[in-house]
Order: sequence, then C-alpha cells, then structure tokens
Amino acid sequence: MFIISELVALLTTNLILTQALGTSTLFIAAGSRKNLLWTAITISVFTTLGSFGACLVNGLLPDNFYDLRLLFYVLVIGIIYVILLTILYFADRKNFCTTRKYVHMSAFNCAVMGTLFTISDSSFGADMSMGSYIMAGAEAGTGFIFAAFVLTAAFKRLNSKDVPAAFRGFPATLVYLGIISMAIYALL
Amino acid sequence: MNKKLSVSDGFIRRNSVLSGLMVISPIIVCGNTIMNALALIYAFSAITFTSVAVGAFVPKKLPYGVRIIIYTCLGALSYIPVKAAAEEFFPGVIDRTGIYFMLIAVNSLITVQSETKFYRFTKGKMIISLIRHILGFDAVMLVISAIRELIAYGTFCGRVVDADIVISGLGLPFGGFIILGIACGIYRCIAPNSKDTDDFGGDSDVYNF
Amino acid sequence: MLTLLALAVMEYFYCGVRAVILGGLCVTVSLAAEMISLRLMHRRFTADDLTCISDAIILYLMLPAIMDYKIAFIACVFSVVAAKNIFGGRKNMIFSPAAAGYIFLLTSWKGNLLMYTAPHVHTGIFEKAESLVNSASHSFNITGRMNYSDFEILMGNVAGPTGTVSILLLAVAAIILLFRRDISAGAFIGTILGTAVPAILVPVCSNSLESLKYTLSTNMVLFSAIYIISDRRIAPRRNYYAFFYGFFIAAFSYILVLTTAKENAIVIVSLLFTPAALGFRNLESHIDSLVKEEKQAEELWEAIKSGEYEIPETEEAAYNE
Repeated sequence: MFIISELVALLTTNLILTQALGTSTLFIAAGSRKNLLWTAITISVFTTLGSFGACLVNGLLPDNFYDLRLLFYVLVIGIIYVILLTILYFADRKNFCTTRKYVHMSAFNCAVMGTLFTISDSSFGADMSMGSYIMAGAEAGTGFIFAAFVLTAAFKRLNSKDVPAAFRGFPATLVYLGIISMAIYALL
Repeated sequence: MNKKLSVSDGFIRRNSVLSGLMVISPIIVCGNTIMNALALIYAFSAITFTSVAVGAFVPKKLPYGVRIIIYTCLGALSYIPVKAAAEEFFPGVIDRTGIYFMLIAVNSLITVQSETKFYRFTKGKMIISLIRHILGFDAVMLVISAIRELIAYGTFCGRVVDADIVISGLGLPFGGFIILGIACGIYRCIAPNSKDTDDFGGDSDVYNF
Repeated sequence: MLTLLALAVMEYFYCGVRAVILGGLCVTVSLAAEMISLRLMHRRFTADDLTCISDAIILYLMLPAIMDYKIAFIACVFSVVAAKNIFGGRKNMIFSPAAAGYIFLLTSWKGNLLMYTAPHVHTGIFEKAESLVNSASHSFNITGRMNYSDFEILMGNVAGPTGTVSILLLAVAAIILLFRRDISAGAFIGTILGTAVPAILVPVCSNSLESLKYTLSTNMVLFSAIYIISDRRIAPRRNYYAFFYGFFIAAFSYILVLTTAKENAIVIVSLLFTPAALGFRNLESHIDSLVKEEKQAEELWEAIKSGEYEIPETEEAAYNE
C-alpha cells in the first residue's frame, strides 16, 4: 500500500507529466537509452544538489529581497554546473567531450529551476528542514527518470512510419504525454 | 544536426515553439487564457530581448560554461523590473502563472540558443532574428491560449461567449499537451520548409545527439 | 462485436430507446471520424478499419444512457482521432481508444459521466433526466456494502453503465471470446487474479468471499478485463507477460479503490500502464529478433557443415585472423 501511495505521489507531482517542466530536454534525451540514462541522472544530481542550495538561499535571504531569489538560484546552479564540469574533466579527461554535454543540457533547464521553485513554494510557511529539501529534490529527479522511461517505451512507435508524417516525432509525443497526463489528472 | 542558419527563421519558418519545441512549458501549463498569455508574452519578450541583446557584449573569450551562467544571470536580473511592471499592468497574473512567470527568465532562447543562433550573426541581423523568434513564441502563445480559453472556459479575453459546450479538461496541462501537439502537426502540414524542422527540439543541435 | 451487441441490447432493455440512439450516434460519429482521418492520412478505408465500430460500442457501453449527445460526440471524435489515428491508426495502436475517450470524459465532465438513472427508468430521446443516482460501484466504494441481491447483480439490475454491470452476460462474453482467442487469455486471467487475490487478502467488506464477489462485479472490473486490458492490439502478445500486465493493473486499481474509493479506477490504471504494455512489446520484439538471428546462424552453420554453403574467401581470411 505504501509503495502504491508513493507511486501515486510520484505520478501526481511529476515534473513533466503534470507540470510540463523539462519536456524539451526529455525529448532530446529519449532518442537513445544511453543519453536518456545519463541525462536523467545528471538532472537528478542537479535537482538534489540544487535543492540543498535553495534551502541555504531561502534561509539566508531576507523577505525584502524575495525577487532576487531567481538570481541566487541561478548562481547556485551555476556553481554546481562549474563544479560538476571540473569533476568530470579531472575524473575522466578522455571522455570529457562526450560527458560534458549532459551537464550543459541539464544545468539551466526548466526541470531543474522549476524543481527549486516548486520546493521553495511548498516550503513557504511549512518550515522544511534541509533533509526535506534534499528529499524533495531527489524525488523530482526520480520523477524525471520515470517520465523518461514512459517516453522511451513508446519512442519507437511514436517515430514509426505508420505515424502520419506531420505528426511523426514530437507532435505525436506531445499528444502521447498529454494522454498519460490526462490519466494522472483523472486520479486526482 | 547543425542546420544552415537564416535570419528569417523563428516566426513562420522554423517557428521557435512549433518547430524548435522551445519554451513550451508556459504554453502548456499557463497558456489557457488570453490574459495569462498577454502577461507571459510581455514577460518573455522583455526579458529575452534584454538578456540576449546585453549578452551579445559578453566577451567570447570566456569559457562556454561561464558565458551560459552570465546569460542566465542577465535573464534573472531582467526579471526583476519586468515582474514589477507585470504586477502593475497585469494584476493577479503572478499568482495565476506561479513559477512559470519566473521560469521564462531562464528559457532556452537565453541560455542555449543565444550561443548557437543569435551570436553567430552580426548585431543587426541578430536583432532581427531575435525579434522573429520572440514573435514566433508570442504568436503561438496567443493563438493557443485563445483556442484553449474559448473551448475550455467558453470565454474570450475574460468575456463570456455564447459557447454551447465547454471542454474544461483542455484548460488543464494535459489539454495543453494535446492541443500543442496537434498544432505542431498542423504546422508541419502547412508551414513552408517544414521538412527542415527539428524532430527533437531546437536545442538538440547544440548537443549533437 | 456480437458480445458487444448483446450488451447493447441489455442496455436497451434497461434504459430504453435513448440508449439505442446514443449507441447509434457513437457508432456513426466514430465511423465518420475514422473515414475523415484516414482520408487526411491518404489511406484507403478498408474492412479492417471497421474496428472503430467496436471501439465506439465499448465506449458507449461505459457511458450513462442519459449522456448528453454533444458530449458523446466529442468523446468519440477524441478517441478515434487523438487517441488512435494521430499515432497511425490500427497499425500502430498505443492506447485503447475507448479507455482514452472515457478518461477524457472523466476529466472534463465528471458530473455528467458518473450519475445514472435507476434501472428500468426510460428517458425520452430529447428529455433531460430527472432524479439521477450514484452508481452501485460508488456506493460500494464508500460504504463497502452492496444493497442488491446476487440475482440483481448478475442480471445487471443495478445503477450504473448498463453495459458494464450485466455480470452474467459479461461472464458469457468472456468465455466466448477466450475460446475464440479474440482476447488475451493471459491478460484476462491476470486481471481477474489481480483483483481476486487482494480482495481476499485485504477485503473491502467483513467477509472475504463477499469482498471478492462485489469487487469483481463493480467498478467496471470485468468489463475492462475483457474489452480493454485483454485487447490483443494493446496487451503483450506472450501470455506470461500479459498475465503480469493484467495482474499489476488489477492489483494497483484495487488498492486505489480501497484507499481512495476511486470509481472505475481500473480504466484509469489501464491507461497509465500503457507504457508497461509497450515496454513488454518492445521486449518481445527484441526476443523475437534474437531468436530469429540465432536460428539464421544455426541454419548457416548447418549449411556450412554440410557443404551447401561455401564461405567466401574474404570472410574466411577474416575468420582465420
């Protein structure tokens, strides 16, 4: 029962299926399993670490400077971006040219920034701990991975020759995600 | 996947949304009424134009990662006065659109496409191309929002229209997905050079997947 | 199709001419939508495309007989165009059109969809129905009790979409379709077991047997097990994959009914499990291609051993290297 309720929670708060965040990134990554896996992992890393940074920013930023929240979140993600690139460069110089694209793609996209804002908005007045922030960020990343698998399962069908040429590829993919999203809304 | 760039891209030819699949989240989630659309169009146009125009002066000698961070920071800084004006001219829109108003400040035209598209042109052509891309988004946002408001709520610009039946579900995000998907399909049928359209979104040529 | 028509006749018996008109409308609209969309896709309309009629009848049987005609029209167009033909039609089925149409109605017209007339209350063709009631499934989900006798449940003499509550007729239809292999046996058995096992282990009522009986006869479980989950166009081809596919859909939806009292949860869950069905089909295709490759390799080896096939010099050199 607990697993089912967690699954339902994962579905109903899913970044892509209910909030349409990170859809373009997902489409790019769904073309190949390897890209999908690494993109999803990188986005999860960004959302998890980013929510840690968001917690710090929310704690330190006075209420008067609320509008600067976006700027500080960007800086937090920027720092994580640079650190990750540096780690990748020194850890695996041979494959750096291949692996860096996942970091470039995952850093400043709606999935990551949207997660930080969603967690912040839900924490407003609720006094969330650092651990809750990080858990929420990890959950968002997991939701992205889940949505990525949902898309990968249908990828071949959505790009097959049977699909009318006008809809082949991302128009059909948008409708497909829309119908899955519709089923999730029916659960609510 | 690198295609030949043209200043005429972005509006009808290789529309930034329908062909490039860029900045679709605000259209899907918030593009369900014309009032929301107008506010988001204003925010997107102001922030994107300012950020990309100012970002053109960022030295190209800086590493790619640092440049991207600077462009995004410019977007975040542009957001502050835009938000203040939005609260004045579009009261209530920030509450209605939620995080999507802020997310427009980090849209992919600023963070990614500036490097791959706009900064490859001369300054004059860059402005023209940028305006075309912005207008491309604006047009799609307006049309889709108008259709969704009419069908989902039976209103037009907040005024009740004598609609026989309303499909309230189309005002929800899944309705946005479906209508945008159908719109992309129709665009491919009728738009010129639609065979040049990206299959996986305009950002894909950056990453050479 | 015959089993569906039998259920439609039952619907007429309980709900009158209006049900027939609604059914006719659904069929006509679906057929027209199919023809127009095939024309737009530059394809010819063939006899195989008449499957749209079955989908239309399945959707019609899930609707209340007093459903607004315009709403039914929109649902049929959605299920044919958006849920089926955009993805390539019957050659590339991703979703069950009827399930997608039903969920579309559920999200947009929940109030119209989940209120019914009592059995044997006939509404005029253009009349607005009065004194609508909740379905038997709804009452069961909320209270855990069914205020109907076993005979009434078997004959479908309960409030609800008549096509989905005629349990006896559905059971007969299931047997016929299973023997004719028109539906996936694995998926059907998986769905029934996936409902039965949790119903016994974690009963809704005080009595396990009653819980089993009522769970199988409410919330469109049996109807979905036959016409949606076991649809051969959607379900995995191999019976053991189909079994697990059906089992998990049924178990998931039972838990949803138990915890959230969601009416007809199985239809929603069947749509959500579409990626699972596609994943199984991809796996089956992958296995089939591996088996085919292995077979071809074996045949080639046999041919080489028997001397029927001479390895070209370049290949032999490459092999020796």
